[in-house]
Amino acid sequence: MSASIANSHFILRRLHSLLGLLPVGAFLIFHLWENSQSRFGAEHYNERVVAALQEMNYLILLEIFVIALPLLLHAGYGVVIMTQMSAEPLRYPYTRHSLYWLQRLSGLGILLFLLVHVGMTRLLGIWDPTVAADLFSHMQSLLVQPWMLTVYVVGLLLSVFHLANGLATMAIVWGVTASARAQRLFGWFCVLLGLLLAALGLHGLMGFLP
Amino acid sequence: MPNTHSMSNIHLRIRRQDRPDSRPYWHEFAVQSHDEHNVLSLLMAVRADPVTISGERVEPVVWEHNCMEEVCGACAMLINGRPRPACSALVAELRQPIVLEPLPKFPVVRDLLVDRRRIDQGLTRVKAWIRIDGVWDTHAGAPRIGPDEWAANYLYSRCMSCGCCMAACPQFGENRDFLGPAPLAQVRLMNAHPTGRYDKSARLHAIMAEGGLSDCGNAQNCVRVCPKEIPLTTAIGELGRQTTLQALMDLFGAG
Repeated sequence: MSASIANSHFILRRLHSLLGLLPVGAFLIFHLWENSQSRFGAEHYNERVVAALQEMNYLILLEIFVIALPLLLHAGYGVVIMTQMSAEPLRYPYTRHSLYWLQRLSGLGILLFLLVHVGMTRLLGIWDPTVAADLFSHMQSLLVQPWMLTVYVVGLLLSVFHLANGLATMAIVWGVTASARAQRLFGWFCVLLGLLLAALGLHGLMGFLP
Repeated sequence: MPNTHSMSNIHLRIRRQDRPDSRPYWHEFAVQSHDEHNVLSLLMAVRADPVTISGERVEPVVWEHNCMEEVCGACAMLINGRPRPACSALVAELRQPIVLEPLPKFPVVRDLLVDRRRIDQGLTRVKAWIRIDGVWDTHAGAPRIGPDEWAANYLYSRCMSCGCCMAACPQFGENRDFLGPAPLAQVRLMNAHPTGRYDKSARLHAIMAEGGLSDCGNAQNCVRVCPKEIPLTTAIGELGRQTTLQALMDLFGAG
């Protein structure tokens, strides 16, 4: 009997769970680390960080199959899952219940942020080569506007939260953490990871400011 | 013997509904009660003299109860916004007015009586029983289970199908597939039984389909509201592990 493979439901849910960490979550960590090097200045960032990545072979394939498609699948199926709740958000004041809500709201928030973020960097770079050539100045011109900096800080924090909390619930889903104690301890580990990534990301954003 | 209990006037607000398809409305009652009384005894007092605060004589309130000692699960309802059995809700511990509503997520039959067939349907779907008719070893006599394993299993055997965990679950609802936490916890229990183990794969396949384990959103309200303090989220974690291994065995062969 092989009902679990014959029925796609389980595989789809687990695929959604896995994609959130690999490759999407892993890319987020790499992306924050990569951009934290903005603090070494325009020359270092443009030539040693951005140019080095742009010169990678098969870059477009990696961007499509390792970043864009997994992200779209994770987001699309996440929205489908979201339509299946029957929730009463205010009745239960428990932490995990609040995190359940924040996970869903942050997912939607990240989608909106990514429209702005990808549109104004990667997609704009296709039409306007000067953006790709001097990404540091382009980012600086964006982030000196207080409202745009706010959008980026919020987008960053939502993404980091979504990854850290997603990792904590993923461990329950896959059966890594079963006991309440294991779930609590790993939850605190994820809090630490989230704070660390938030610090890394904020550090990167500040590095673009004059 | 003189009555040493203090009597007081308890203010009750009850959501009423005459038919499954009619609009709900509210009635308020004032009931003479001891502090030691529970919500069920208040409802009995209302039934004896169903006169509202405004003096109107109304139809008695309909509700379900059975054991009166928190082992049957029949009297679960929403008490001051939380799903819990009315028999173990002590009046002295409740804020007034005490607001009673039918258990959410289940179709209302009348007043506080809901149709909880979804619980039985869930238990049926996951085969929450042990087959003892067959040509296999049924461990006649006492099955051998170690004391630690027995103690862990015992926690899940206390489930009384009251439905509180399902009422509190943001993934469970009238038009939703999700089985809810209680049937899942019974899969954890039956899969651990020496004879029940024979149907482990069948139960896991049942919870790997639509509405099964993966519809859980990890909000963990269930474990907070369970009146029997059943470690439902631990069961969900353990079933996560069992289904992960089952999927690998389905993919690569059980060998």
